[in-house]
Order: sequence, then structure tokens, then C-alpha cells
Amino acid sequence: MKPGGFVQTISRFMKVLGLALVLLATPRIAEAQSAAPAAAAPVVAASAAAPVAVASAASDRFAVAPGGYTPMKPTAGKGMPVAGGIGFQTQYSPNGQYALWMHNSILLPVIVGVTIFVLLLLVWVVIRFNARANPVPSRTSHNTLLEVIWTGIPILILLVVFVPSMKLLAKQYKALPADALTVKATGNQWYWSYAYPDNGGFEVISNILPAGEATKRGEPEQLGADYRMVVPAGEPIRLQTAGADVIHSFSVPSLWFKLDAVPGRVNEKMLFISEPGVYYGQCSELCGARHGYMPIVVEALPRPQYNAWVMTHAGAKVDGAPAPAAAPAASAPPASATPAPAA
Amino acid sequence: MATTTDHHSAHGDVHAHDDHKPGFFSRWFMSTNHKDIGTLYLIFAIFAGIIGGAISGIMRLELDHPGIQVLASVNHFLGVTSATMDQNLHLWNVLITAHGLIMVFFMVMPAMIGGFGNWFVPIMIGAPDMAFPRMNNISFWLTVAGFCSLMISPFVPGGTGNGAGIGWTAYAPLSTSGSQGPAVDFAIFSLHLAGAGSIMGAINFITTILNMRAPGMTLHKMPLFVWSMLVTAFLLLLALPVLAAAITMLITDRNFGTTFFDASGGGDPVLFQHLFWFFGHPEVYIMILPGFGMISQIVSTFSKKPVFGYLGMAYAMVAIGVVGFVVWAHHMYTTGLSEDVKMYFTTATMVIAVPTGIKIFSWIATMWGGSISFKSPMVWAIGFIFLFTVGGVTGVVLANGGIDDNVQDTYYVVGHFHYVLSLGAVTALFAGFYYWFPKMSGRWHSELLSYLHFAVFFVGVNLIFFPMHFLGLQGMPRRYPDYAAAFEYWNHISTIGYKVMAASMVIFFVNIIYALVAGKKAEGNYWGEGANTLEWTLSSPPPFHQFETLPVIGDDDHH
Amino acid sequence: MTAASPSLTSAPRNRRVGLMAAGVALWMLALGYAAVPLYRIFCQATGYGGTPARASEIQASTVRELAGRTISIRFDSNIENGMPWHFAPERTTQTVKIGARSLALFDATNNSDHAITGAASYNIEPESAARYFTKIQCFCFTRQTLKAHEHVRMPVIFYVDPKLIEDPDARDVTQITLSYTFHPVAADKDAVAKGVTK
Repeated sequence: MKPGGFVQTISRFMKVLGLALVLLATPRIAEAQSAAPAAAAPVVAASAAAPVAVASAASDRFAVAPGGYTPMKPTAGKGMPVAGGIGFQTQYSPNGQYALWMHNSILLPVIVGVTIFVLLLLVWVVIRFNARANPVPSRTSHNTLLEVIWTGIPILILLVVFVPSMKLLAKQYKALPADALTVKATGNQWYWSYAYPDNGGFEVISNILPAGEATKRGEPEQLGADYRMVVPAGEPIRLQTAGADVIHSFSVPSLWFKLDAVPGRVNEKMLFISEPGVYYGQCSELCGARHGYMPIVVEALPRPQYNAWVMTHAGAKVDGAPAPAAAPAASAPPASATPAPAA
Repeated sequence: MATTTDHHSAHGDVHAHDDHKPGFFSRWFMSTNHKDIGTLYLIFAIFAGIIGGAISGIMRLELDHPGIQVLASVNHFLGVTSATMDQNLHLWNVLITAHGLIMVFFMVMPAMIGGFGNWFVPIMIGAPDMAFPRMNNISFWLTVAGFCSLMISPFVPGGTGNGAGIGWTAYAPLSTSGSQGPAVDFAIFSLHLAGAGSIMGAINFITTILNMRAPGMTLHKMPLFVWSMLVTAFLLLLALPVLAAAITMLITDRNFGTTFFDASGGGDPVLFQHLFWFFGHPEVYIMILPGFGMISQIVSTFSKKPVFGYLGMAYAMVAIGVVGFVVWAHHMYTTGLSEDVKMYFTTATMVIAVPTGIKIFSWIATMWGGSISFKSPMVWAIGFIFLFTVGGVTGVVLANGGIDDNVQDTYYVVGHFHYVLSLGAVTALFAGFYYWFPKMSGRWHSELLSYLHFAVFFVGVNLIFFPMHFLGLQGMPRRYPDYAAAFEYWNHISTIGYKVMAASMVIFFVNIIYALVAGKKAEGNYWGEGANTLEWTLSSPPPFHQFETLPVIGDDDHH
Repeated sequence: MTAASPSLTSAPRNRRVGLMAAGVALWMLALGYAAVPLYRIFCQATGYGGTPARASEIQASTVRELAGRTISIRFDSNIENGMPWHFAPERTTQTVKIGARSLALFDATNNSDHAITGAASYNIEPESAARYFTKIQCFCFTRQTLKAHEHVRMPVIFYVDPKLIEDPDARDVTQITLSYTFHPVAADKDAVAKGVTK
């Protein structure tokens, strides 16, 4: 193209481009800014977790609740889609609550506002400037101030979105403590398997419940699975995903969690579930014929109940326990307020 | 007004030397005339659109209620008489794959670029034809060959059942080790053919626009539709070869033992996604930019005003094109990207909102102060501006890497991209169609039916796609043939919307038939004042060869 | 606008522009293929995709241990669906000193009646720590052939680069996961398939 033309417009173009570049350069700044609030985050997380921890956390860590494990009944409307719902599912993780707040209080007003603004402008133009109302068209085709404004204001609006967006990412990538329980979800055609390397390495195979069976068990059709991914509530979990054949995606909408399970590698992300409950999700990457038939069911339990579930598996141990437990009884710490399980 | 020395054609009295039309076979099968090729592309796109649209009808019927309803009958129709459940479910994946590929590569692209681009780029710049007329013909027939290859694929084995069930994104390893059988090879090969055709088309457009403008038609005087085609052609030229490379690697991974995307041989499946989306994101701009161009022409014509902020509009498209190449990984937020990478792609993606906003506001400013006549193309164009805004703002939501964790691969994404494509690009196509149809055919469509088409279509598509946002937020994943009962309500509404939309298509076809059979003859500049690009200086339809004497564009011309 | 108007088209001019455009397309095609090695180099240089670093014995000998700084390492093992091997780390986690050479062992057993050659893919999580996790020796550098019912212990020698604690993106990491996945090599895939269906 000819340089002569560019010279005449270069300032206008540079104006747009320059602003775009400023935006491109900002993540570092925002990251630096978000570092400060991030430092306070553990306190927030801890207080959010507080109502969950039934007694003092330290002794419950290794406690094994008596009575073994019975699958928890799902609560209607919790951790699952609701009929005719139009928004996000209720969130049961601190990051999910922050993301939900960001969507409902920042993004949604912004996008609805912009859409209505454009709609009103269109309606006004249609009423005011139709041929009958305005027979003689103006010849105005430039207004530099106006163009600067409608370049500048969107940038300001984007900055309003940008700051919490970066904060959210920083929260989602916060480093996990070394002793966080690790669970590995492996996507297979067409079921999930969950491995518990810290609990002795047993594995749970999870298949969709046959049609009708879910209803019988009081679970939603298409979402219920025969065995669940059981995890403790109120503590950070290092959830790792892997694919055994093709790419799958581990997704639980009510926990704001989605992570692809890619063959040949492991992915990792923090899962934190604020309160006990059953949370449903579905495979979210096309993986073949029965892609729609490999649901994910996460059951979050208080620590002692989780430990009890762990101990129902052969060769299992409570994660992080001082000595490997040979038998369920041995894993109950002496100081625990929990009565020793009846032998 | 442009001054044209081609005064004969300006008054529609076509001289014999303008009209040496070849015989039927040479004219339509060996065509080198840009207008004939444009017509072929439009007919082809309508044909492909009927097939792609029928497939989406099957999908909507299947999703009307929970459970598997129609897939077995469809399998039966395709010749698989006793299909297993898995084969029926595989058919679902074949349908979504075919719908995506057909609509992207064989409907929107041929209609926008091949159809309207071929028809009006040469005319609008005052050129007698495209730079490489023979290559233009090859481009078209390669696209047709690609479509045939895609149409063969559902009838040959592709893994669990017949056909390629890999999604239009064809992610490895589902598209490599995950799908045995030739169906996937046919589907991939169809992209090779269509891609080669499009690359040739891009070369043709670039050369035509850079070299063949009439005297006085500087780049900064070109109509915005031509600008949009120039940017689109560059995007095609830069993006499609990368797709070609990626899918060739898929073919060799499938058939010749290479391991580009196979972890067992040191490859990486995620690399395919990077390559695919390096093409795929510019691809969505390839589909919408010509629409931007058409809307600019239409809004200016019916407001009887020059486009507001012409240079800003042109360079906003350039900016969208450039930024479009550095945002691809926002399609891959859940693949395990690191924090820094997600932050970068979130930021870069949000930047696109700025030039897009410039376009929206400039269209409104063009109307502002105008004397607007609401002919059918203008009604479609106003509809486009609103619907594209709705699709655009949900894009701002999806841009956020942290938010996308919950909506990636859900119906929210399906709603978003149908608002920008099905309601954006397709609305622009209809706007362009009603704007130019009398010019191309020489006959008037019924304006009444065009309004009716718009009204019914507008209601229908909004009913189809708006509820998808609700479904996505509630967590319904895409590419599912069956779903939990909680999702039934909005799915049912969406299916009703499809039926409404289908009815609007009937109106469209009735309108075309009416125009061709009984339509009034259209004069040269049937939109009158405001329509001042070069195609309005010609008769309707234009002579077989136009501008044998080149028009000269004066210094005081508006765009 | 006074810029000179391009003159009426001439075939050579068109051919030149057309060839230039075709050249751009070919260049992008080549770039598409070049992306494969470039991606690998990029990953190795930056740790992108969780690619660990690699060091020779000599390079490793210059690294100094950081007094009093430890980090937990988690070992993860996967097997591609259908491969009849058992493959697992001897210890799930191990706490190592930053900068110190450490050894980890993996057990592998071929449970089938015929020899199978496997190749391991691997990555590091979290990704921000990948470029500091440095392997000196690894069974994953070469293919491994296990005879029928053979059992082997496979070593990895590695250290965590002390530069980790200077990187604001990585210094908070308390546990690094080293993950391996064994795949049958292409030539053995048929044998594996037979083994599954036998």
C-alpha cells in the first residue's frame, strides 16, 4: 500500500494502536497490584472455611468418623442445574464466589448497560432521523472529539473489568500448600477414574448410572454416577487431571472448576469446596460417542467422614498421618475427641 | 458521484460488444467472469446452507426433550438400518461436525467472499474483472470438490460409526488415534480443498484490489466493503496455510506414522490446538469482516450520508485483523495454561472490544443526522448492529480467563458465537442480499416479503440462541445429544425458535422465486440518492463485461 | 488525495503481486510446520507446557545447594489405555533440598507375555516451576524395552534450580509434581492391542 495515504492518517491510527498497546502492557502492573490483596487471601479463605470445620481442625485432620461411609443424598438444587435456571449455579468455593460476584456485579451490568445504550441510540436514530422527520441529511462525516471519546470510554470500561479479572486469575493460581490432599482424575472413553495417591493409592472407577437408576437413588438423570469422587470439604485439594486416550475435561459448574484431561501429561489446579455436599459436573471436551455420558460427581465430606470413606478401601491410609496405618483403628489419633471406632 | 466514461452501460443500453456471452456449459462450468462466478458461489452457498440448516434442524429436534429421539431414524435414513446406541451417539458427533464445517467453510465464506466479494469488489473499484479470472474459476470448483469430499464422509466408517465425529475443531488425538476409518480423512481433505480454493481467492482479491483500481480510486477512497475484503484476504492468506499445515500433520499422524500430536512419539496434542486456533480465531473475523463492509455500505446508502469516520472504520478493521492473530489461546483457557499466559490472552482479547466499539458507534453516527429510509436492507442492517452488539458483549465476558473456566465448552459459548455468526454474519448476508439482489438479477424482490422475512427471522433466531446463554451459565456442556431434565425448559424454547426461523427461510425462498418469476425490472440505481458506489452507475444486471473504458474517480468523491 | 493512481492493470504487474501473495501463503505454510520444532524449543527455554530443564553432569556440578531450603516433589505415573504395564513411583512424595542432586525410582513391570517397548512423556506442574526442575538423568530420555514379565527399577536424577526462589511466579510453590506417562511405541501398538483382546 502507498505510504502517502498512511501519512495522512497515521495519527488517527496510532491513537487507536497506542491505546491498545497500553492495554497490552498492563498485565504486569495489575499483577503487581494484585499481589498485595493476595497476601490477605489466606485469612479470608480460612474464615470461609471456619463454619465447615466442626471442631478444632488440627485434631480432626486424622480423625476417622465411626460408622464407615454411606453415600450422601444430594440436596435438590444444590450442586446441580435447576429447571429453567438463567444464571450461574450457586457457588460453593471462595474463588467461585468471587468469580460469580465479578460476573453478576461487574460484567453483567456492563454488558447489559452497553447493549441497552446501543439499543437506545438505535431507537433514537430511527425515530429522530428517519426520512420523514429529517428530510435533509447532514453531511457531517468526521468529529475527532467524538471518535476519541468512543475509543476512550470503552477502554475505561474495560479497565473496570480488567482489574477484578486479573485478581481472579491470581486467586485461581495461588500456590497450594505442600500437604494439600492430592486427587487425580483420569478421563477415559467413557468414564472417570479417581486415584488417591496420598491415601495409599487406591482408585475409584466412576460410571454413569443407567437410565432410571439415578431417579431411584434420588439423583438427577444423566448426572448421577455409581461411584463418586469423595473429597474433604473446607481444605485446599490439589486436583490433577490426565487423559488416558483422548482429551476429556473435568468440570463442575457449582465449584467454578474446569480443567482439561490431556493424554500424556497431567494438569493441576486448586479445588476448594467450602461445605459438604454433592456437586455434579459433566465431561466438557468432545471425546467420542459417549461424550455426554460420563458425568462427574464430587462428594465433599467433613474430614473425619472423608477419612472414614478412605478407610473403606483396601490398603488405604489417612493422608499425612504420622505413621502408615495398618488398620482403621490405628489411624485414630489418641487425642481425638471422636470415640474410637468399634472394632 | 463518480464520473464514468462508460456512458453506455450507465444507461443500461448494452451494446453488442458488451455481451459476448459464451454457451451454457462454458459460461457456468468454465466461467472466468467474476459476476458469473459470484453467482455460482451464491447458489452453492444457499445449497450448502440448506444442508447445514437441515442438520441443525435435526439437532434441535433431538434436543427438544431429554433422551435420544431422532438419531436412530436419521441413521436409518443414511442407510444404517440397525444402528447400535453408540452408533447413534456417534452420529450426533457427525452432525455437529458437519454443521460446523458446512456453515463455516461452505456457507458463510463462499457467500461473503466468493459471492458478494466476487460480484462487487471489481465493480466497486472500477475494474473489468478479477486479476486472475481462471484461478477464480479454479477456486470455486475446489470449494465444490471440498464439499463433495465432506459429503462422502458420513457414508464411510469413521470410528464408532460412519462419518467424522471429531467436531469442526478436529482436536487430536480424537481426530487421530481416536477415530479409525476413512471418514475423518475425507473430512480433513475437504478442508484442504476448500482451503486451497480460499487461498487462491485471497491472492486474487489482493492482486485485484492493489493493482486494478480505476484511475483516481486511491486506497483511501475505496468503499469500505472493498476495504473489508482486502483485510479479509490478508487474514485468509496468513491463517489458512497454518490450518493446511496442521491438518496435513493430522493426516500424516493418522496414516503415515508421524507423531506431531501424539505424546507417545514426543508430540503434543495441545500443539494442534495452538495451530488450529492460530487459524481459527482470524477465521471468525474472516467470516464477519465482509459483513462489516456490507453493513457500512448499506447504512451509508439509506442514511443518505457518507460513512462517519471512514478512515477510523477502515483502520478499525485492520486493527481487528492484526489483534485477531494474537488472541488465539483464549479458546484454550482450560487446557492447563499458566497464569501469565492466561493474563496475556485475557488482556489482548479485551483489546478487540475497542475497534469493534468504534465500528458500532461509527455506524450509529452515520445514521445520526441522516435522512433514513427504511428499505429492507437497512432494516436488516439495523438488526445486524443490535444482534452483533449482543454477541460482542458476551465475548467480553468470555475473554476473562478466570470466568471462562465455568463457561468454556458450554452453551454460553454456543450462544455467543451464533450471535456473532448466525445472527451477525448471516444477518449481514441477508442485508447484502436484499441490497444487491436486484442489481445482480435485474429483478425486484418483494420488499414486503423481505420485511416479513426479517421479522420472523429476528424472532426465530433470538428464540433459538438467547436461551443458550441461560443453559450455558447453568452448566450445560456443548456437543451433548442428551441432557439433565433441568435443561429441558430452555432447550424446548430453543427448538420452537428453530421452527420459527425455518418458517422465515420459506419466506426467503418464496421471495427469490417471486423475484425471478414475476419481479419488476430493476433500474441501474434503484436505491437512488445515497447509493453512490460504482455498481450503481451500471445497469441492473450489469453488462457481461463492464468498464471497458475505465471510470475516473474525481477528487471530491465520498465513499 | 493526491497520491499517484495505479495505472491500468498489466499482466506482469498482476503476476508479480500474485506471486508475492502466493509467497506469503507458502511462507505461512512453512511456518505452520516450523511451529513444531519452534514450539519444542520455546517450551524447553521457558518451561511452557510444564517442560522441565535438562542439565549435563558438568552443568549440574556447578549448582550449589541452598542451606535450609527444601521443597516437596510429587511423583505421578500414568499408562496409556491398554498398555499391559504396571508403572508407579516407589515413593509418592519426597522432600528434597533446593539445589541438591536427588534420586527417585520408578517401578515398571511388563505384565504381558511378550516384550513391549515404551516411551515416556512427562511434564511438570505447576508450570511456573518447570524451568527450575532440572533432570540430569532420566529413563524418559530413551525408549525402554521390557521383556515378558520383566520388572525393572528406573531412576531419575534431578535437582531443583535455586533460581526458583528468585522468581516471583515460582517462589511460592511448595510442591512440584513430576508426571510420567508411558506409551507403547507405534511398532508395538498392535501387539498391545492383541494383548488386550487375547
